[in-house]
Amino acid sequence: MNEDIVVTGMGIITGLGYGKKQTLEALRLQHSGIGKNNYLQTIHADYPVSEVKMSDNEMRNFLKIPSEKIITRTPLLGIMALNEAINEARFDKNEARKIAFINGTTVGGMEKSEQYYPEFINTEHYIENHDCGSSSEAIAEYFGNFDMITTISTACSSAANAIVLGANLLKTERVDVAIVGGTECLSKFHLNGFNTLMILDKAACRPFDATRTGLNLGEGAAYLVLEKASDAQQRNIKPLCKLSGYANTCDAYHQTASSPDGQGAYLAMQNALYESQLKPEDIDYINAHGTGTENNDLSEGTAIMRIFKDTIPPVSSTKPFTGHTTSAAGSVESIISILALQHDFIPANLNFNHPMPELSFQPVKENITKKLQHVLTNSFGFGGNDTTCIFSKIE
Amino acid sequence: MSIYIQAAAQISSQEPLSDAWFTNPKRYTERHVRSIDPDYKDFISPIEARRMGKILKRALATSWTVVRKTGIEQPDAIITGTGLGCIENTEKFLSAMVRDKEMYLQPSFFMQSTHNTISSQIALHLKCNKYNSTYTQQGISFESGLFDTYLQFKLGKINTALVAGHDEMTPEYFILLDKINYWKKGKVNETILRKSNSIGSFAGESSSCFLLENKKTAQSICELKAVDLFFNPTQQRIKQAIEDMLLKNNLKINDIDIVMTGISGDCNNDCVYRENIFPLFSATPIAWYKHIFGESFTACGLGMYTAMLALQANKLPVDYLYNKISPIEGIKNILIYNHFKNKNHSLILLSSC
Repeated sequence: MNEDIVVTGMGIITGLGYGKKQTLEALRLQHSGIGKNNYLQTIHADYPVSEVKMSDNEMRNFLKIPSEKIITRTPLLGIMALNEAINEARFDKNEARKIAFINGTTVGGMEKSEQYYPEFINTEHYIENHDCGSSSEAIAEYFGNFDMITTISTACSSAANAIVLGANLLKTERVDVAIVGGTECLSKFHLNGFNTLMILDKAACRPFDATRTGLNLGEGAAYLVLEKASDAQQRNIKPLCKLSGYANTCDAYHQTASSPDGQGAYLAMQNALYESQLKPEDIDYINAHGTGTENNDLSEGTAIMRIFKDTIPPVSSTKPFTGHTTSAAGSVESIISILALQHDFIPANLNFNHPMPELSFQPVKENITKKLQHVLTNSFGFGGNDTTCIFSKIE
Repeated sequence: MSIYIQAAAQISSQEPLSDAWFTNPKRYTERHVRSIDPDYKDFISPIEARRMGKILKRALATSWTVVRKTGIEQPDAIITGTGLGCIENTEKFLSAMVRDKEMYLQPSFFMQSTHNTISSQIALHLKCNKYNSTYTQQGISFESGLFDTYLQFKLGKINTALVAGHDEMTPEYFILLDKINYWKKGKVNETILRKSNSIGSFAGESSSCFLLENKKTAQSICELKAVDLFFNPTQQRIKQAIEDMLLKNNLKINDIDIVMTGISGDCNNDCVYRENIFPLFSATPIAWYKHIFGESFTACGLGMYTAMLALQANKLPVDYLYNKISPIEGIKNILIYNHFKNKNHSLILLSSC
């Protein structure tokens, strides 16, 4: 099938707020969601995080989930985001079309496991909610009527790889609609894990800045509704944009570090460009993975220089807004990229002041108004799991 | 476009990295059976092995085995399914974090705790920059990875793929799952499992790895015809899905020589097969494998392995036969059906080549 894959709905929840409207507003006003932890209980409160400003109970009430129902924060965030996406795509969830739900997550029910481990005394129900698959199942069951679901766990590129699988499902015509993305709540487990790797910054993160010393963690969920262009047309839905290319590669360099030449990132961008039949100069904006760690930004920056050479388009990392939402980052940043595309603006790379001497480019310091046709977004994960997606306006 | 299994390797409760067990599999009566580990020195340096959990060693040994057998060192995709990921390292990091109240933690267990450690370690060993992914969907984790591979073959995106399913069962996780009745309360044996009149099965571990290629060669063991996944399907949906799958492959119900099921001795699990499969395949040999390998989130990989061996050997030893209908000579098509708690279901169709 050579038909275009289009996006017909999106839903997002992050430290910037709930929904596309609040997200867009925060981006426009350059208001970051990063601050002091409120819900996450940790002794490492000196690390800023970008929390979703809703308690589990507030989300439960919003979603009308009864208090006796066992559900952890990761699926709650997921249901919030999925709710918005499904509403926008305007399909009747009871109709006969086959819908897939592809979810990216790594933490799963860890935030409850770490409270009750090792004994799980009187909280045995959380045992079954520990694994990642059960989070996806909880989200899918809230809505019902999914013909198939599965979960991808490639660390911080999980949600981007959900987009990849969703597109392949549509191209093989296995399903009519693929709802794809990821969800991840903050957990002590990964906050401490990142801390042992010494890649957390006690100040606000500064991607692509020479003084950067690490990332800020965030939480959130975001989903895209993908379908074939002809199906959207038949349903009389105006697509938001099309997914023109995507690629998954592996850096194969180190378990938690990226290669100096950014080979995985280079191949992901190159293969995605190849699939979209676009040239590097066609890309109007790069939403970089840009975590703010010394290693990632140098590796990714080098890969960008290798691909785009003398015509590097505006680059920004929006992680200073949302924090690094880990498994959800791929879909969170895809939606931010699509909002940029829809509204013809480039969100700033906050907190940037000092150019990196190794790079030939600097990220965008302030929001820019610019006509955009094609945007590229990178999502890279531990283990060298690198994925790039390209979204384009529909002429 | 056809897909062939060119090589396969397994580490389980049976003789590791071997197929000799097929005609006379070991039987166990314990509730928790761990895999028999081979000597890893042929695959991993001792220094590297010391830092690795069991699941990673098993993943690398099975991967290297299929890569060496086929000479395909740069598969176009490396995909792992795992229900719990590197749970041993996750537990080590988690318990240290809880015990020491988030202080004095070391990075090594965290670094090898994420699910995708397995696929990325394989890529690191092979220095393979190509497609790399990891699926985790409880009892259909292996099939999820296989499904991704299948789609990419169909789209012409890949010519070769290394697909695997890996799960370990640590003593700690065994106890946790025991609390929520995953395991039977006393000794287990085939008679008890066959009766299927109580909940729970027994715990196993599974590592299975397959090298797939879209080209038939002298090495090809069998053909992978179809893979599919379903969520909360009705009985009617499963019936229709099986019929569609067979129709697309020009097969009828009676062309299926064996249905390989995930019957495990757990009454809640097994009744789903009785309802969804037995009426449809009333004259077909029904096989099982979880009574040999134990239950694990990626046990279905071992089910596919067993089905593959049955096609290769053109026979199914009585050890795997669940009903009283023996397969006649000439095993050509095997349908593998698995489900997890009657929520996620999977179908795999293998044919001789």
